[in-house]
Amino acid sequence: MHKLLFVCFLLFAVTLNADARPLTNKPFVKHIIQKPVVGLVVDSIRLDTSKIKVHAFNAVALDKYKKNPDFFYREADAKTGLNWWQRFWNWFWELIAKLFGNSQPTAAPSFSFLKYIIEAAAVVLLIFIIIKLAGLNISNIFNREATEIQVPYSESLENIHQITFDEEIEKALNQRNYRLAIRLLYLSTLKQLNDAHLIQWQLEKTNSAYLNELSDTAQRQSFGILTRQFEYVWYGDFPVDGQSFQNINTLFHDFITMLK
Amino acid sequence: MEQEFFEQRTDLSRLNSAVEQIKANLGKIVVGQHDAIDLLIAGILADGHILIEGVPGIAKTLTAKLIAKSINAKFSRIQFTPDLMPSDVLGTSVFNPKTVEFEFKQGPIFGNIILVDEINRAPAKTQSALFEVMEERQVTIDGYSHKMQEPFIVLATQNPVEHEGTYRLPEAQLDRFLFKIEIKYPSLEEEIAIIAQQHQQKTADQLAEVTAVLNAEDIIALRAQVRSLHVEPKLLEFVAKIIHETRSNKSLYLGGSPRASLAIVNSAKALAAMKGRDFITPEDIIWVGPAVLRHRIMLTPDKEMEGVTPDEVVAQIIQKIEIPR
Repeated sequence: MHKLLFVCFLLFAVTLNADARPLTNKPFVKHIIQKPVVGLVVDSIRLDTSKIKVHAFNAVALDKYKKNPDFFYREADAKTGLNWWQRFWNWFWELIAKLFGNSQPTAAPSFSFLKYIIEAAAVVLLIFIIIKLAGLNISNIFNREATEIQVPYSESLENIHQITFDEEIEKALNQRNYRLAIRLLYLSTLKQLNDAHLIQWQLEKTNSAYLNELSDTAQRQSFGILTRQFEYVWYGDFPVDGQSFQNINTLFHDFITMLK
Repeated sequence: MEQEFFEQRTDLSRLNSAVEQIKANLGKIVVGQHDAIDLLIAGILADGHILIEGVPGIAKTLTAKLIAKSINAKFSRIQFTPDLMPSDVLGTSVFNPKTVEFEFKQGPIFGNIILVDEINRAPAKTQSALFEVMEERQVTIDGYSHKMQEPFIVLATQNPVEHEGTYRLPEAQLDRFLFKIEIKYPSLEEEIAIIAQQHQQKTADQLAEVTAVLNAEDIIALRAQVRSLHVEPKLLEFVAKIIHETRSNKSLYLGGSPRASLAIVNSAKALAAMKGRDFITPEDIIWVGPAVLRHRIMLTPDKEMEGVTPDEVVAQIIQKIEIPR
């Protein structure tokens, strides 16, 4: 029973000691020095006679740290270890600080947001210069513009106003290429309709669209027949011989005569 | 007039007569909707599946049923509901105690003409069941592939996605539909004609008057004829250019797939055949373009909020491209 009480007392004493340490505010080192040599019951003071080993700083390592610019805390010393970019920004902020009458620009909290704004502006300016040098269109960067697709159309970019139809038809007939000749006849008719302001020629318009533009019923009927001939030959790849071509050619000439 | 210079290379008289008869059949009951009916017939001739969209009460299901009744082939109807399971559509293996073996019980998808009513009322899980069967015309269950019988046509109806209790169909499934046909409200004259026709109706069963015009073998033969039509290479380039433009257009988040290019060519062929031609023209392509593309392309969120429709974007794209001539 007594042993149990003694153990409880010991535990209580240790706990008190542990809790009391921060409150006393004594340096932790003192506890370490006082701890080992004290017995439970002391009637005399014992002296610590153990040898003390004195440690000295390594002079070489110390010198190395002294030369390292990362450890220069004085402003004058720190400036010597900066690269040109850092020096530029230091100069720039000092200039800003002078302008606003403050000798400690980086320490002033009011400058922090200004610093970010100016840095962002500098980055934007840099991007702008790069874009301009690269010859890119800025509006297309954020706005997805449809890109032109190059499909190899042999007839694309063909302007009916620049074709010398008589020559080209003659050439096609010499080669007995009646299919091409009928195509050229049809394009020539479209040109004449456009010149007569009966239709408005556009590459994107369908044959039916041109047909619907004709207000005269007789013209529309005749042009409808020509359009069908053209479609059978050009889209349908129907074979055309010399006789068929002559018949179709007559229809085209009759239509042109009707326009005059 | 062209008969004087060019003799027809392909005999399309059977096809044209069948088309006229189907149109007459539908015209007995459906008032107006001529473009929708033309697209439905073209879709069947082009070997495609068709999605019909419209608000309730505008004869979507009736039109699909009439088309099905005009063709003498195995017809089945599946009403899509939120609790429908894939096995309810495809079928499942059932244990037979007599033979002590599992036997595959075919689902309603096994038929020639399948009417999937209100397809967007089922969740994505059930809709996914249609992926394989719509594209590959087969169903794989328990490691065994069951081939569909030809012709295999899925006619699906749906309400617009803004309506209550609907799910948006997955893009992969939408791409499997050849056309999305939008059925609009009838005009005032058409509305009056609908009411008058219903008022004069003698029998309760409207479909009783409709007779079959074609059978499964006819459909297979007509499809083969449509496939053989001539297409000028420049028109293939025209189609490719339209589809490419959908992929780079700033109004679109998702453009057309190569399946869309094929769909345009096939359906333009069907339309040309219906017009009595054995070759396609740029106008055929332009006419089928919106029906092929409107469900395949996706607008950017800003364009969607502006109220721009896919049809408007498709029209703008086509207008920018030179007609090969």
